[in-house]
Amino acid sequence: MSENSIPAIGIPRAMLYYRYGTLWEHFLRALGVSYILSPPGTRGILEAGTKLAPDESCLSLKMFMGHVDMLIGKCGQILIPRYSNYGYTELFCPRYEGLYDQARNIFRSTGQRFITCNIDAQNGSPEPKAFEQFGVALGFSARQSRRAWLEASRALKQRQKADEHAQKELTAGPGMKVLIAGHSYILSDPYLGKPILDCLAAAGAVALRADALEPEAARKACAKFSPTCRWIVSEEILGGILQWKDKADGIILVSAFPCGPDSMTNELLIRRIKGMPILPLVMDTQSGMAGIETRIESFLDIIRFQKGERL
Amino acid sequence: MKQHRKVALPRYGEYNCALKYVVEQGFEAQCILPPPLSRRTEDLGARNSPDLVCTPFKTTLGSMIEALESGADTILMVPGACRLNYFGELQEQILRDMGFTFEFINLSLYNTGNVKDILRALRVINPRRSMVKAARSLYDAARMVEHLDDLTSLYYQNCGFDPTGTYPKVYRRFIADMYAARNLTDIREGYRAACRALEEVPLCKPADPIRIGIIGDYYTVMDPFSNLELEQKLADMGVEVHRLMNITNDMLRGGGKNKQAKIRELCEYSMGASSVADLWQAQNFAERGFDGVVQVKSAGCMPETDIMPVLANLSRDRKMPVLYLTYDSQTSDVGLMTRLEAFYDMVEMRKKVNG
Repeated sequence: MSENSIPAIGIPRAMLYYRYGTLWEHFLRALGVSYILSPPGTRGILEAGTKLAPDESCLSLKMFMGHVDMLIGKCGQILIPRYSNYGYTELFCPRYEGLYDQARNIFRSTGQRFITCNIDAQNGSPEPKAFEQFGVALGFSARQSRRAWLEASRALKQRQKADEHAQKELTAGPGMKVLIAGHSYILSDPYLGKPILDCLAAAGAVALRADALEPEAARKACAKFSPTCRWIVSEEILGGILQWKDKADGIILVSAFPCGPDSMTNELLIRRIKGMPILPLVMDTQSGMAGIETRIESFLDIIRFQKGERL
Repeated sequence: MKQHRKVALPRYGEYNCALKYVVEQGFEAQCILPPPLSRRTEDLGARNSPDLVCTPFKTTLGSMIEALESGADTILMVPGACRLNYFGELQEQILRDMGFTFEFINLSLYNTGNVKDILRALRVINPRRSMVKAARSLYDAARMVEHLDDLTSLYYQNCGFDPTGTYPKVYRRFIADMYAARNLTDIREGYRAACRALEEVPLCKPADPIRIGIIGDYYTVMDPFSNLELEQKLADMGVEVHRLMNITNDMLRGGGKNKQAKIRELCEYSMGASSVADLWQAQNFAERGFDGVVQVKSAGCMPETDIMPVLANLSRDRKMPVLYLTYDSQTSDVGLMTRLEAFYDMVEMRKKVNG
């Protein structure tokens, strides 16, 4: 099949893209399907999304709908994978589960076509099979799709290992280290998370990221800490925190308003991790960074005091 | 010899009567009923909970605190399909941090999809229980829940058209009977007596009354305190109130595995927890020509927020008004009343115009 027979697929650069994007991109590339990404997050995208999404939904969903809006009419189909679960006790936040149908309903009047990849092991569609079906839906054979998935998942593993390795080098370096924990789609987003990282860098602190860890290791660490936590992504963040916290001087918990899983896991974390400064930061649709900067600066001051440094 | 456990489950509508039955008749332990939900419950819960968590978490935490104050030594917490599954672990931590001493049976721990684990959980409540007795009590309690849901459903459909004021009396009597029931005969008798009493009431119902369907998240929609007695308020305006969302329909009677297939045009996949049931119910109300639907949810409920765009499309396609209500730890129901009255006026006017 030639490369141009399928119109380009659009991928919104938001939500689970920052966690599984490597997998999707490599999968499409292995099949020779061209794709376009929505531009990196900006204030404008968030504002567009805020108008489209239900008022009460979370900041990340608003951002996501803004990204989908950017792709409308610019590609053949928009890919919104549906991540539901990897099994009975390995779930995803319901938000990712509903994304595909929610976007279809919000953008119904535009006539845009959407395509999904349904990962729902409880209902007989685990990840390999889901990608196989996705490939078949794109017009490839099951065999081709399976091979593409294998290649893509290897690429994802490699990236995760590389992330972990890079972080290990950071921990060995000098300077005050702050562990920054949150969903990757907040931390990696140029509009939402980057200002926080910049602010830390400007103050001379090294930011360690809780999500830079191999998922299996993280989930194992979390199972002991919080046995009934079943949201995979939250487990990974919790596990990451437990794994890296000994190397850090303080923890910043970044979450989006009003994130469902975070509202509970962050509370549990604050109650169970003692003797370490923790700063919970909730990102909102606010336009200024001044408030965040003040809080981060005073948080760093607290860490310095604790370490006995004079200001 | 060890004393009987004093088991409590946070208040959840009137369903506590079934738990009381299982604990007392099946496991031969004592069941402590927390006081009815009140402003105090909500304050206690909200003060000790994280800010952004959904309201049912706060209400159930408040109820647990009140249960411990009433002398319970064991708290039972149920698993669930959404955040509810994680409630137990965090609530236990909060209660321990508050300084309470108690035993916590978190059924989420045993909710692994494996039957053995569920049996293990039952053993925890009373190790010396008879399995036969426990099984029988569960069966009886399921009947109790069915009767309770059936009668509640009948009550809200008709109580707005009862000029004699008998309905509330019978309903209260029935609830009291259920709490006092000691065997299946008591349960059946109580239900039959209530049905007979209700049948005798002469209703002044127009041939084509205004019918409104209620949908919403598992806790808020089924708990009259949490939804500020929404159903009673609508019924008092002279509305036939229908609610399909209850434990009987959703769990005991199968709930209909094929609901997802029936709403495929609206929504291809499940959006989690109560979403499929809600959308199916809304569509069902639309097909039956209802005059409106009210969606009840607690602030921050994820599946319920996710279905809003779908509901909006359903409402547009079927020309059926939908009122979206979000409940937080409110202190007054005046705002709710205003919105309900406006909704009622609109629905009534539409009915007159459309015939």
